[in-house]
Formats: sequence, structure tokens, C-alpha cells
Amino acid sequence: MGPYILSGLVLGSISAVSVLGLVLTYSSSRVFNFAHGAMAYFIAVLYWWLTDDQGWSVWPAAIVSVLVVAPLLGLFLWAIVFRRLTHATPVVRFVSTVGLWVAIPALARIIFPIISAGSDVQTRGLGGTPPGQFDVLGVTVNWNQATVIIGAAAVAVGFTILMRFTPLGLMTRAAVDSPRVAAIAGINPSAITAISWMLGTMLAGLAGVLLSPLLGISEIQFTLLLVVSLAAAVLGRMTSIPLAFGGAMAIGMIQGLSEKWESANLGFVEFSLDGFKPSVPFVLMLIALLAYQGLRREQFEVDLRAGPTEEEVAPAARLTGWKAAIGPIAVALVLLSVPIWLNDFWIGVVSQGVALGVLFLTFTVVTGEGGMVSLAQVSLAGIGAFTAAKLATDAEWPVWLALLAGGAVAVPIGLLLAGLTLRLGGLYLALGTLAFSQLLRFTVFGRDDFDNFGSGVAIDRPEFLGIDFSISGGRDNFYYLLVIVFMVAALVVVNLRRSTTGLVLTAMRSSEQAAATTGISILRSKLIAFGTSAFIAGLGGGLFAVSFGRATNVSFEVLVGIVWLAIVVTWGVRSVLGALMAGILYVVVSPPTDKLSFIFVIIVVFAMMGETARLIGSKAIYTARGALLGVGVLAVGITAIVLLLPVEIELSEKAKEVPTLLFGLGAVFLARQPRGVLFDVMNRIRLRQLQRERQLADGATAEAAT
Amino acid sequence: MSAPLLTAEEIVVRFGGVVALDGVDFTADARAITGLVGPNGAGKTTLFGILSGLLRPRAGRVSFDGTDITRASPQRRSRLGIARTFQRLELFGEMTVREHLVVAHRVRMRRDRSLLRDLVGLGSRPTLDEDETIAGILELVGLDAVAEQPVILLPLGTGRIVEIARALATAPRIVLLDEPTSGLDVHETEQVASALRAARDDRGVAFVVVEHDVELVLELCEAITVLDFGRVIARGTPSEIRASTDVQTAYLGTRAAEDVAP
Amino acid sequence: MNSAAEPVLVVGGLEVRYGDARAVFGVDLEAPAGHVVAVLGPNGAGKSSLAAAITGRVPPAAGKVVLAGHDVTGKSASSISRMGVAYVPEERAIFPHLTVQDNLRVLLRFAVPRDDRAAAVERALEMFPILAERRRQQAGTLSGGEQQMLALARVLAAPPTLLVADEMSLGLAPRLVDLVFESLEKARDEGVTILLIEQYVERALAFANEAVILRRGRVVWRGPAVDAHAELVAGYLGSEG
Repeated sequence: MGPYILSGLVLGSISAVSVLGLVLTYSSSRVFNFAHGAMAYFIAVLYWWLTDDQGWSVWPAAIVSVLVVAPLLGLFLWAIVFRRLTHATPVVRFVSTVGLWVAIPALARIIFPIISAGSDVQTRGLGGTPPGQFDVLGVTVNWNQATVIIGAAAVAVGFTILMRFTPLGLMTRAAVDSPRVAAIAGINPSAITAISWMLGTMLAGLAGVLLSPLLGISEIQFTLLLVVSLAAAVLGRMTSIPLAFGGAMAIGMIQGLSEKWESANLGFVEFSLDGFKPSVPFVLMLIALLAYQGLRREQFEVDLRAGPTEEEVAPAARLTGWKAAIGPIAVALVLLSVPIWLNDFWIGVVSQGVALGVLFLTFTVVTGEGGMVSLAQVSLAGIGAFTAAKLATDAEWPVWLALLAGGAVAVPIGLLLAGLTLRLGGLYLALGTLAFSQLLRFTVFGRDDFDNFGSGVAIDRPEFLGIDFSISGGRDNFYYLLVIVFMVAALVVVNLRRSTTGLVLTAMRSSEQAAATTGISILRSKLIAFGTSAFIAGLGGGLFAVSFGRATNVSFEVLVGIVWLAIVVTWGVRSVLGALMAGILYVVVSPPTDKLSFIFVIIVVFAMMGETARLIGSKAIYTARGALLGVGVLAVGITAIVLLLPVEIELSEKAKEVPTLLFGLGAVFLARQPRGVLFDVMNRIRLRQLQRERQLADGATAEAAT
Repeated sequence: MSAPLLTAEEIVVRFGGVVALDGVDFTADARAITGLVGPNGAGKTTLFGILSGLLRPRAGRVSFDGTDITRASPQRRSRLGIARTFQRLELFGEMTVREHLVVAHRVRMRRDRSLLRDLVGLGSRPTLDEDETIAGILELVGLDAVAEQPVILLPLGTGRIVEIARALATAPRIVLLDEPTSGLDVHETEQVASALRAARDDRGVAFVVVEHDVELVLELCEAITVLDFGRVIARGTPSEIRASTDVQTAYLGTRAAEDVAP
Repeated sequence: MNSAAEPVLVVGGLEVRYGDARAVFGVDLEAPAGHVVAVLGPNGAGKSSLAAAITGRVPPAAGKVVLAGHDVTGKSASSISRMGVAYVPEERAIFPHLTVQDNLRVLLRFAVPRDDRAAAVERALEMFPILAERRRQQAGTLSGGEQQMLALARVLAAPPTLLVADEMSLGLAPRLVDLVFESLEKARDEGVTILLIEQYVERALAFANEAVILRRGRVVWRGPAVDAHAELVAGYLGSEG
């Protein structure tokens, strides 16, 4: 029993330190930081670089990482990102911090090129190498474990003293209680928020440095840290520090003790308990959420009281009639011509991208149209993929039927998940879906009959009407099939947007209050969006697996899912073209190929393609110059692809991280613009024009009046 | 004389230990504009919350055309024919003026219930009836010129009228208006007032107007209820309200002055 | 310029907007040192927006706010507070989850010199014995009147240069309204300049030196407080039409 209690105590201590930072920053700024684990990762990598690469001894390295660099990182991120989020809409808040979650680890690997994505390294601990050992009550404790427990206790005591007995603590408590009154009393609330982000990042960094000697530095490990911390934060109702601290310890203890039964052989249970440990946070969070359902919504959802939210960037005038069709037709033509100017290898790559484009339409529906942030879309895709693969390969269903079944199976699961969390508001949907993804990855996808030692479940390409879709002879046919499926799916999404349901969703996104008094049922509308998105995710997941040849666990990891979300947001979360471009780019750049030039050319071409179409069709810039510019860019783009294709360029490890970093940053800074990066640029130009026209008009009326 | 359309009886609301409404009665007749006024903190906003379903009273009863709606949700009230507007403009920022009316009208007609039709693209076409209804409302309140404009580009006064038009598109029998002219200048205030009169005269819609601008209420409403300290202190026609010494006292605070007078 | 004659507050051409909504247009206002200036007008006339712009909680769209000779236009609420402006709004300006004592420590922190802080808290508690009794109680559990005492205690323990009192008596029982006015008189006797926004017009006018009447965001009348009453009856209830 003793070793398990010790292990639980150590796990609990680390997440308790971490959750303290999470709750502190949330209380002071109302921004729930999904990048908390990523910050811990950054500081842990720095610590490893200092100790391992630079040869520092452990204590100076820990002090510089945690006490110097971490607060600076916190201050920096507060200044450029978090500061602007307090009054942003909930979706913008979530997406921006998810973007940081993608960007920060990539940045860490670029600055400290001693670690690559997916690697797992053990750092030297503060307890000495190898750590000394001693016995307490018959249990052998090493000094690394002891440091963790002592560290957590010190943090708890230090934090209590800081908050209870110092002027800074008093002012922080005042500013958290009421920022408005604090300002009246002469306290600068921004300064307090900045300090809380510095402290929060320090605590994340400390958790990272304590964690890395015991469990290693890997993104998966730090995602677990995040999930446990956020479960503990939910147990503490987001703002109670003692409850969250206790919750983290409790989760750690249950996880530690569960190892005892995992290793004991319960002969009568066939189901192994492998999945129990990772499911603890999810199960506890779910119980807490269900228990809190009884609470009054207003009491619980503090984040909605934070103040008025600012509007998204205003969209300029929309296109109508035949002009609106130009863009889609241009895209279709370029897509269908791909087999003419690409070789077989690249047709295979682009096929995967188009399949992923179908999958990414799930974000277009749930986040773009529905205004919700779900981190479970990747798991719903996984459900679809594994269901389709099992049905097609084991049960020998026709592939197309198995794919549809995959989509259908994802729907009830998605609806159940959304139904349980949505009543409490958007933040809890995001938290619940993240924990659900984590749970599914370990308890279902990780099981031998799905994971199959990493090789997954094979799935063949469909066959019907006697057309050859096989890898050997039917590459082009398969590609055309995927393009057609994408177009149909995109058409459905566009139809949905323009229909009554779409209007209802748009209304709800803008003002839930006004929508409800217009007679719209908010929960029903959100469930419709979520259910539809779950079907698309399941179907797209299946198609992606088919284009890949097999459904594998690693394709549907939580971390993959957040990169997907980031890249879709960058290219436009409310645009079907954005989903397609995001899909193609994702397969081209990850895993990164050695053709950097190709990547950038394809970015440019697809970008220009869409925007040229928009340019040509738009009323505002419907000029000969605009049309000429569009055609010219398109020609240059296609020529560049053809010329650059044969050029081989070796990518360094650093350069391979660049796309991920860019997508993360894209999500951070484009969260306000649901139509993506290119539209944003165009829109800014167009809005400036409108403003100028308005000013001119105002001037004219003023003159006329006098 | 017919029974009133919307009735609140003996409403009591407490926040913590504070009594916000203390046995308030309120009625609004069909096809009439009823005003609800009172000094700051008199309980106007609380009573508005009770009528619109955002708040539940500690005691008392709200009924609409004979149906008890004390505990009905905002959605249910909307379906019964009670619409409302908000103090802070609550428009659908990404939509045009026409789309505001379309969504309200379709929800009313239950056209939001056919997901499959929507997915294959058959559910988006406007019907003849819809076009006519919406054109009628747009013309009635004077929005036809800006129908295709995104609301985000409209001035505040026009935005308020869009809110009223959206409420009218749910085919209501009564519309509750929360400070419809706050932040507007004299000209815009007059536009809002004439939109209300037009809707009442043409459609027979009743309105309840919560306002701080007493002058506007005296000019616009047929019947007025005055609240102070959570109680009704006067009720009547505009001229009766003007003559009431209780109302003058409530607004100017002579009562408190008398307390200290020897 | 003679500093004794310099007004504590000068507001010139002040304009406040919330998006498209206009709340205050081009208001001019002056508060000589030691005077009480009443700002009156119907609900929604722009009184509270004026107070918000003067105390820095809303940046003015145009115009100037000058405090004791310093231009503070567009400065943050916290920096204006540190220049000696106390603001007591209608919604209680307290921290509901902090104890009474901690509330006073925060509210007085930037109002008194460092070595006077502890003493100022004690002074404030002595003024209202009921607060001293409840010093370790969370302020949110106090009654409305006690919460307003807490705000008054802050004003009296460290008299500010300018007090902006925004409907302090709103929703209080008459006995407590008396207490508010007694406290304001004490503050005036200490030399505090007061901008008084009140709904108890008669009491406000009895107490004030000058009055300014706002309607729809504009000054429609200004003059000695004693002359304001007749003007107000028309202003609140509208002229007979």
C-alpha cells in the first residue's frame, strides 16, 4: 500500500502546484488557459537544456527557469495575448489559448533544438543523480519524490502567506473580488492581472521542472498534466484555490492507488484496468459537472459576468447571385485538374488532404456556425475511423456503408457529451470534450484490438460501379472520388448555413439572450450543430483512414486535434474553402516533408485561388485591375509549382517546427476573424475603404446642412 | 370593457434581504401603449424582468390573456405572443435587417424544425407569405430602405427600430420594451415613438414601455403606472399622472425633506 | 494664478459616448474648492456618465477634465483615484468577499501616506461602531446601510480633495439617508469639495451651494441651489402639453 500512496502523493503534488497557477490566472482575468501545460513544457525544456546541454547544475538551472524565465514568459504572453482576451467572446478566448498550446511547444523546440516532437527524455532531478533514498514508515522514498512533496507543501504555505498577509495579496484578492471597485480605490487592475500571469506561469514552470525527472518531458505527459489540472479546477469550481488544490491531491491519490489494483491480477475480470488511471480526471470532472448542474447557472458561470464582450471583426458586404458561384467553380476546376500537373506521390498526399478537408468541415459546423469550442472532434473522427475499419475489415461490410456507419455512430456519442456539458456553458463543453478525448485515447483507442501495437486497423478503398479506386491503378479515380465527396459535404454545410437552421445558429452566436426571446431554443440549436458536426467528423475520420490505408491511434491523438483546430482557424473556421486548404496543408507539412518550397508554393496558390475568386466576384473591387491581378497571381502560382516540384531541399529539425508554430500563432491572432487569414487581410482593406467613403459622406452631409 | 391582456397581481420580489417589489399590481390592455415609470431603483427593471420571464417572483401571479405564465420560460412566452426588447441593443451582429425578421418569422412558423430539408438545401427559400409579412413590417416601421444592410452599419436609433421590427415578426400580441429611447437624440426618439404608434394602429399590437424619460411616456402612452420603492404610487391617464402630488414627491424627494423638517 | 481661488474641478466641453449611444454632450462644469455642487436631472440625463468620465472609468469622447490644475482627461480610474478623488457610486463600492477590515485597508491604501495606513483604518472603524463590531465579517454579508457606512468611513477617515457622490442614498431607509447627509456635511466641513448626484432633490438643494441640471446629456440650467426648484418640476415631469 505504501508505495502507491507515495506515488499518489507525488502525482497529486505536481498537479496541485499546476492547478494553483491555472485557478489564479482564471480568477484574475477570466481567461481559462489551455496553454497551461504547454507553458510547463516550455520551462521544463529550458531546464533540461540548461542542465543537459549547457552543463549547469540543477539548482541554478531550476532557479533561472522557474523564478526568472517563467515570470518573464508569463508577462510577455499577458502583454501580447491574455490582456486582450478578458473582454473577448468565449470562442475567441478558447481558441486563442488553444493556439498558444500549439505554438509554445513548437517554439520551445525551435529555441532549444535538443528535443523533437514526440520524444520523451528524462531530466536530472533536484534530488541528485541518481537521487538519494531514505525510508519512511517502511516505504523507500527517493529525493526527487521528496522534493516534489516538499515543493508542493512550500508552495501551499508560501501562497497562503502571500495571499493572506501581504499587501500584494490583499490587493490581488480585492482586484479578483471586484476589478471595478479596485480601480476606484486606486489599484491598477491590469498590474494585478499581469502579476497573476507571472505567478501562474511560475507555478506551471515549477510543476514542469518537478514532473520532468519523474515522468520525462513529452508533450503527452504535459497534456495529462493539463487535463488533471483542469479536472481539479472544475472540482474547485474554477475559482476556489483550496478546493482545487485538494481536488488535485485527491485525483493524484486515486490514480496512485489504482496502480495497486492494476498490477494485482483480478482473475475474474477480463477487462484490464489499464484505462482506469487516465479516466480518473474525466470521471471526477463529469461527476462534478453533473453535481453542479443543480446549481444556478448564473452562480457557476462566472466568466459570463466579466463584462461586455467585443464584437468579432465586422464582415464586409456579401456576394450574391452568379458572382458568389465564381469562387467555388474556380476552386473545383483547380482541384479537378490536380492529376494533370502532379505526380503519383503528390496525388496521394493531396488525396489525404482532401479527405482531411472533409473531416475539417466538422470544425466549420461546430465552431464556425455553432460558436462552440469542442476538443473532442478528433476523437469523434477516431470513432468514425475505427468503426468503419472494423466493419469493413472484420465484418466485411461494403466500405462505403462502413464509412456512413462510422459517421452515424459518432452522432449519439457526440450528442451525449454535448448534452451533459452544454447546460453549464461553453467553457465546460471545452473542458469536458478535452477530458473525454483523453479518456477515449487511453481506454478505447489504446486497447490492443484497436491499437494493434501501433499499426492500427487496416481499411481498404471502396469499390463500386466497377471503377478502380485501388492504390495500384486507381489513384486518380480515388482522388476524384474524394473531391466529389468533399464538394457534396461542402455543399451540405453551405446549405445548412443558408437555411433556417443556419440563421438560427447565427442569431444564437450573436446574442443568446435575444435569440431565446425570439423563441429559439438554445440547447436544441446547439445540439443540432453538434450532432451534425459529429457525423461529419465520423465520416471524415473514416475517409482519412481509407486514404491512409488504416485507422491508427496516433492519427487521432488529442494533440493532433488541437493542431487541426489551430490550422482550421488560421484558414477560416467559417469557410469551407478554409477547411479544404487547412486539410491539404496539414498533410503536406506534418509530418514535415523535405520540400519546403512546395509547402509555401501550395499555400500561396490555394490562398490566391480562393481570394482571386473572391476578388473577381466582389462588388467592392470589381475592377479590371483586380481581375488582372487575380489571373496573374494564379498563373504565377501554377508555374511556380511545376518548376519547383523536382527541387529537393533538406529541412532542418528546426524548420520542421515552423509550420506548427505558424498555425498556433495563426489561431491566437485570427480567433477574431472566422473567415481566416486571407479574408482578414482583404477585409481590413475593404473596411478602410468603407470608412473613408463614410467619412466623405458624413463630410458632405455636414456641408449640406450648413 | 374587456379584460386586460397582461396582468401581474400582488408581485413580491426580494433580493437577499432587500424587498424590490412589494405587492405590485400591473395591467396592460390589448391594443394600447402602457407606460411604466419611476425614479431610479423604484423596481421598474425588476417588474420588467417578471413580465418577460427573466425573473421569478417570490409571490404573486402573472397571467396573459387568461393563462398563468408566472413560471413560463422566455421561449414559451415568445410562442404565446409576448415579445421583448433589451436595454442594451441585442441585435444579431452578422445579419442584415431583413434576416432579423426572417429568422424571427420562421421560428414563429416552426420552420426551424426541418434539419434534413435544411441540409439538402430545400429549407432556405422564402415563401410568398413570408415575403409579404416581412415587407409589411419593414414598411410599417420605415425600415424598407435599409432592409439589405448589415445591422452593424446602422446608427443606434435605427438599431432600436430593428429590434422592434424583429419583435413584430414573431407576430406578438404584446411587446415589452426596456428603455427603448436611452441614448437616442430627440429626432431618433420621435422615430421610435412613431414606429410604436404605427404598429399599434395598424396591427393592434400592445406595448409596455419602461422608460426614464417621463415626458415621452406622458406623450406616448394611454395608461401609465408609476412605481416608487417597490410599490405602485399612481396609475392613470397622462393628465392624471401629471396632476398627482405623489408622483411629484417621488421624483423630487420632498418626502425625505419633510422627514427632517421640525 | 492664485491657488486658493483655483477650482478643484473644471470640466470643459465633455462628451461621453458608448458606441453610437451618446450620453453626455459638451458639458461644462466648475467646482470651486470647498463647495458642494449638485448635479440633478431625470434618470438617464447623463449624470452617472458624467461622473464616470470625471473619475476615469469611461474615457471621454471629447472635452477636458482638470483636477486642481492638472489635466487628467483620459487618465485611468486608478490614477485619478490616487490624485485624491474619491468616488462613491450607487452600487456599493465595496469588496463583498473581503472582510470589513480588509475592505478599509484596500480602500484607504492609496488615500493616506504609508505610515498613517493602520491608523486610518482604526479611525474609520471608530466612526461607525457597528463596523468595528463586524470588522472580521465579509462585507457582502452586511446590510445595504452598513455597506454604505463602509464607503462613508473611507471618505471620512481620509478626506479626499474631491468627492464624487453618485446617488449614495439610493434605496436607503430615511434614517440612513440622514446619516449619509450628516457624513457629507462632516466631509464638507473638513474642506472636501463635493460633486453631489442625488435623487433626493430637496435635500440635495438644501445642502448644495450650486446646482446644475442636465437633460438628455446637456446642461439646461445652472445657478444657485436655492433657485433650482421651480426649474426642476418642469424638467422632471414635463410641461403641461
